[in-house]
Amino acid sequence: MKRNSTRAMAVIFALAAALSFASACKKKPPTTTSESKPTTEAPTRPGETQVTQPTTRTPDNVQTEEIPADLAKLNQMGYLQDAFYDYNKADLRDDARTALSANADWLKKHPSTQFLIEGHCDDRGTTEYNLALGDRRANAAREYLTSLGVDGSRIRTVSYGKERPFCTEETESCWQQNRRAHFLFTAR
Amino acid sequence: MLAGAAFTRGQTPEGGVIVITGPTGRKMPLAVPPLLAPGVAALQSKVSEPFTAALRADLDYSSAFVVTDAKNDPSGTRDVSTADAAGRWLSTGAEILVDTRGDVAGDRVSVEARVWDLKSRKPIFARRYSGGVSFVERIAHTLANDILKELTGQAGSFLSTILFVSDRDGGRNKELYAMDFDGRNPRRLTNHHSLILNPDARAGKIVFTSYAKRYPQVWTMNADGSGQRELSTGLELNASPALSPDGTQIAFSGSAKGNPDIYVMNASGGGLRRLTSTRALEASPDWSPTGRQILYTSDQTGSPQIWVMDAEGTGARRMTFAGNWNDEASWSPKGDRIAFACRNEGDFNICVMDFATGHTVQLTSEGSNDHPSWSPDGTKIVYQSRRGGTAYQIYTMDATDGKNKRQLTEGGSNMQPVWMP
Repeated sequence: MKRNSTRAMAVIFALAAALSFASACKKKPPTTTSESKPTTEAPTRPGETQVTQPTTRTPDNVQTEEIPADLAKLNQMGYLQDAFYDYNKADLRDDARTALSANADWLKKHPSTQFLIEGHCDDRGTTEYNLALGDRRANAAREYLTSLGVDGSRIRTVSYGKERPFCTEETESCWQQNRRAHFLFTAR
Repeated sequence: MLAGAAFTRGQTPEGGVIVITGPTGRKMPLAVPPLLAPGVAALQSKVSEPFTAALRADLDYSSAFVVTDAKNDPSGTRDVSTADAAGRWLSTGAEILVDTRGDVAGDRVSVEARVWDLKSRKPIFARRYSGGVSFVERIAHTLANDILKELTGQAGSFLSTILFVSDRDGGRNKELYAMDFDGRNPRRLTNHHSLILNPDARAGKIVFTSYAKRYPQVWTMNADGSGQRELSTGLELNASPALSPDGTQIAFSGSAKGNPDIYVMNASGGGLRRLTSTRALEASPDWSPTGRQILYTSDQTGSPQIWVMDAEGTGARRMTFAGNWNDEASWSPKGDRIAFACRNEGDFNICVMDFATGHTVQLTSEGSNDHPSWSPDGTKIVYQSRRGGTAYQIYTMDATDGKNKRQLTEGGSNMQPVWMP
C-alpha cells in the first residue's frame, strides 16, 4: 500500500522534473545537466533520476557525440544513472531496472569504457552487515547489465556499506539516497 | 566471595529479552589511601599522585569494587593489626585496606603493597613491585590486576589494549588505532590513507579490512603494527575478518558474484574454503574460545539473526529469535555468553545471551549501541554508541548489568572497538 503511493509520488515527481527538464533543454544541451550526480543537493528520488538522463536524444546523436577524454570529467557528465533499493533489500525495483536499461544502452554504444559499481547502504544496519548488503546491491546491478548485453569484463564492483554516504540526515529521503548502486568510470 | 547480583528484572513488551533496570550486586568497598613515600617528598607529583590516581581509578572501574572516599588515614596509621585502628578504617565504610608505600632510588621506584581484610585484621596479600619512575602508572595497573585476581579469582584487564578505527586525523579516511583499556594513550597503527574497518586481534596478530587498494581486502600485521600485509583471496568482498583463538585461521565474510558467505583461510594466506553455502547473506563471524564453533549473522530467515556452526561449516543452527535484527555476535572469553547488537524497532542495543540457556539481557537503552567486544577477564564490554546522527564514540560497561558506562573517546568518529585478549 505504502509502496504504491510512494511509487505514485515518484511518477508525479518524474513528470514535473521532465517538464522542467524539457524547458531546460531549450537553453542548453542536456549533457551539461548535473542533476543525476550524487553529490548535488537536488533530491534524487528513484523515479526522478531517469528523466535527468538525455533520453530524448536519438541513438545517432549519442554515437556521434564526443565523450570527455578526461576520466574525472567523464564521471561528471551524468551518463550513467544510479539504481536505488528498498531498505535491507538488494532486489531491483522497476525504477532501478529502468535506470539500468538506459545505462546498458549507453554502455553498449561506448564499448571501450570500463566502470565500477559501488554498492551503498543507509546507516540503519551495522557496518559489517552493510558491507555484505552493498556487495549484493552492486552485483544485482551488474547481473542486470550483463543480462542486457553489457560485457561483464568491463565491470568491477565494490561495496562501501554505509561508509561513504551521499547525505547524513536521519530522514527517509536521505536513507533512500544512500541505498544505491553508484557508477564510476575507471577507463574511457 | 563477593556478594551475588540482585537485579531487578522487567520483561520487555516484545518478550524474549530481559531489561535490567534496578541496582546491581553489592561491590566490595576498598580504602585506597595515597602511596606513602616519606623520603621522596620532592617526587610527590611524579610518583605518589599518578600512582594513587591510577590505582584508585582502576579499582573503582572494576565491577567488583567501589573505592571509598577515605583518602587519608583516619587513625593516623596504616597499621591495622589492632581492633582500634582497624575500627577507624571500618567506620569510613571500607572493608579492605590497600596500603602502599614507595621508595625511589635514582630513576627507579619500588612499591610495597599490603592488602588487609579490616574485619579479620589479617593481610590478604603483600607484594613488592619496582620499575622506572616513568612507569609508575604501569606498576599501579599491575597491582590492580593482582588485587582483582586475589579477591575475585579473576585477573583484571588494567594492562589491556583496545583497538578501534577512527577518522580523527581528518577527511573521509579511517585508520586503525589502539588505546589503553581506559581510553588513555591513543596511538595510530596504520597509514593507509583509506578506509579501514573490522579489526580483530588474537595470538599477537591483528587483522582488519582495508580499502588501500580500492577493493576491501583482509590485511594482517603484528600487534605493534609491524609486518603489514594484504591477504589476497580472489573474492570481491573480504570483510569482518576474525582470527581463530590460536591465530592460525581467519574467518571472514567473503563474496563471489554477490553472494556473501562465511569463508576461512590460513592466517598467512591461502587455504581458502567456504563454510556456508546459502543463497542468503552471511557476515560477522566470531570464533568460540575453543576454536571449534563460529558465530555469524545470516539473513536466511528473512531478517539478520545470529547463527552458530561448527568450525567445519556443519551443524548450523539459529541462536536468536527475538527482534528483527541481531548481529555482530562476540563470544565471551569463557565461551559461556555471547554479546551482540540486538534490535526490535528503532535503534540497536547491546544484548548478552547465556549460550546454554538462551536467557538474554539487554544492557543499553539510550541511543544506538552496537559492535560489542569482551574484556579479557569477561567483566566488561566495549561497544560503540551514538545519539541520532552524531558520530560514534566508544564506551565500556559492566558485562553483567550494563552499569558503570564510561565514554573512552571523543573527537571525530571512533568506532568498531575490539578488546585485545
